[in-house]
Amino acid sequence: MMDTPAALNDLDFMKALLDLVIPPSASGDLPGAGALGLSPAVAEALQADPLLGPPVEVGVQAVQEAALSQHAEGLAGMTPEAGAKVVEALLATHPLLIVGILRYLSPAYYQHARVLEGIGEPPRPPFPEGFDIEATDAELLEKLRARRRA
Amino acid sequence: MSNEPVGVLVIGAGASGAAFAWSIADAGMSVLCLDQGPWMKQRDYPSNGLDWEERGMGDFSTSPNVRGLPADYPVNEEDSDISPLMFNAVGGSTILWAAHFPRLTPKDFRMKSEDGVGEDWPIDYETLEPYFALNDRMMGVSGLEGDPAYPYHEPPLPPLPLGKSGNTLASGFEKLGWHWWPSDSAILSQEYEGREACINLGPCITGCAHGAKASTDITYWPVAQRKGVRVRANCRVREITVREDGMADGVLYYDEVGRLQEQKAEIVVLACNGIGTPRLLLNSKSKRHPDGLANSSGRVGKNLMFHPYAMITGIFEEPLQSRRGPMGCSFWSHEFYQTDRSREFVRGYSFEAIRGLGPVQTALWGMIHGLIPWGEDHHRSFARLYDHTATLLGIAEDLPEETNTVTLDAELTDAHGIPAPKVTYRLSENSRNMLAHAVERAKEALTAAGAVETVVDPLMRAAGWHLMGTARMGRNSTTSVVNERGQAHDVKNLFVVDGSVFVSAGAVNPTSTIQAFALYVADSIKKNIETLFDDA
Repeated sequence: MMDTPAALNDLDFMKALLDLVIPPSASGDLPGAGALGLSPAVAEALQADPLLGPPVEVGVQAVQEAALSQHAEGLAGMTPEAGAKVVEALLATHPLLIVGILRYLSPAYYQHARVLEGIGEPPRPPFPEGFDIEATDAELLEKLRARRRA
Repeated sequence: MSNEPVGVLVIGAGASGAAFAWSIADAGMSVLCLDQGPWMKQRDYPSNGLDWEERGMGDFSTSPNVRGLPADYPVNEEDSDISPLMFNAVGGSTILWAAHFPRLTPKDFRMKSEDGVGEDWPIDYETLEPYFALNDRMMGVSGLEGDPAYPYHEPPLPPLPLGKSGNTLASGFEKLGWHWWPSDSAILSQEYEGREACINLGPCITGCAHGAKASTDITYWPVAQRKGVRVRANCRVREITVREDGMADGVLYYDEVGRLQEQKAEIVVLACNGIGTPRLLLNSKSKRHPDGLANSSGRVGKNLMFHPYAMITGIFEEPLQSRRGPMGCSFWSHEFYQTDRSREFVRGYSFEAIRGLGPVQTALWGMIHGLIPWGEDHHRSFARLYDHTATLLGIAEDLPEETNTVTLDAELTDAHGIPAPKVTYRLSENSRNMLAHAVERAKEALTAAGAVETVVDPLMRAAGWHLMGTARMGRNSTTSVVNERGQAHDVKNLFVVDGSVFVSAGAVNPTSTIQAFALYVADSIKKNIETLFDDA
């Protein structure tokens, strides 16, 4: 018999879970977090975090078990609505579950080039190109100049 | 590496150590600076990569306890309402600062005379004025001349653009008739001294990859080195040694491979910030100085002052380009800076208008405040916040209190076994009332500027950027550590030039004043070298 992988390292399960936490946008401009393949990075970061890691890992395991009890394929086989209900039902007993996931999922997701494009940002680092910004309002500047100390 | 005795030994290559070393090099003495951190490289700064925000929470965090790099020492902050922040490298905390560059105001030097609290400084604004101006030129400061909150001064470069977020916030202050003025910023609005103008990268507080933001590794140090000043990086000082006659003899330090070395000097200068300096003095115990060096007054490590911060963010319907441009440098307001006896606090606070957050920080900030949920509504909520926020920071003047301290931790040590500092700090009722007032006024300003909602962090914990007061200056040797020239009362060839010497905190960022003081001390030594060690 094959061992079931620990929930954090079960790629299919984690893809489904992360797609629940940050789903694809209705417009299709933004991918779901699971579809971006971020679960290994999130799992690695959580496993290295002595404070958030253990409670999140326990919570993720609980989600996996609850989902398997409802569907033979677990979370990956459930509709998003049904999956969300499974997670919601466990938040009272695992209050750090979503917070802990988002602590590491948010950086991974919002620095991804596809996501940056989706939110209207160029998919590049700030340097070396930088950005243009609006000049100081000339009317405001004139008001200040009138108040200047000589 | 030679440990031949030197004329002047500076400990710490940050804001004050660099300014001091550059100036004292003109005295004709050999000058050596030891710093526990490395030289930084602009190509290594986070804004070179897509993970720039994430690295700001990791190896470029402003907290040494989060970074835990070899150059860092741990700080026990369990008994502190505010976490101390710093960076350890050549350039010190100017590597990771926002470069918001106000000066203390003239009245800040006369707190007791003006308001009957704390103590007056033994020097005044006018004494430091030429050094403020000199420092502005060395760092490369942009700003608008004529701010009525200050005596007239002309920054060497024109002000940075406010951007849409700054223009929007400023319009709120205009509607209310409140003082506001574009910040003096140690960031270049034009090419200057071989450095290029700011290109609005945004994340100044994780290091400027473009070099437009002043940090002393690219401003003072190259010039100081051309004058012959030597910098020895990755060298951590353990203690200051003393001679039989009680004068400083030099230091014991760990070199870059961890070997204990001795460096003798005629003059020792501490520039280690308001936590590092008392830590080193308290760790320099001897038969003659059983309570630590220069501590006959018992004031070393006492009167720790931060600037308590409240953060008030407005959410706007219009996009604000808010994460672009120098994050901490838009404008300031001194509308509530001075004491008003009708309020429930003495002294006052300033506002600093800052720019918005990047996408990662927006997502995390929104989650923490319950504004961005997981699941179906995540993207709509994110879009409502991202690029739609602008923030006012209320910066309160902390009063000096002897119960707020830096001591040596009984158990915690750094990698070399040197006792770590323990910070004990509680927010006073005066500061609490001040921040509450700032929150309400900020809400008014944001609403006047068009915000549809405001979000409040009433006391930012991770905001201990400004470390002051722990080796205060004064004329009375029983109530202060150093005199008005930064010279230790107890040890005539020992000087302190960092924020430790501050008698009061004012309600603005201290670096401009710290550096002006360091330049003043260097000048004072040069002018009085013949009589420097005479008894007063």
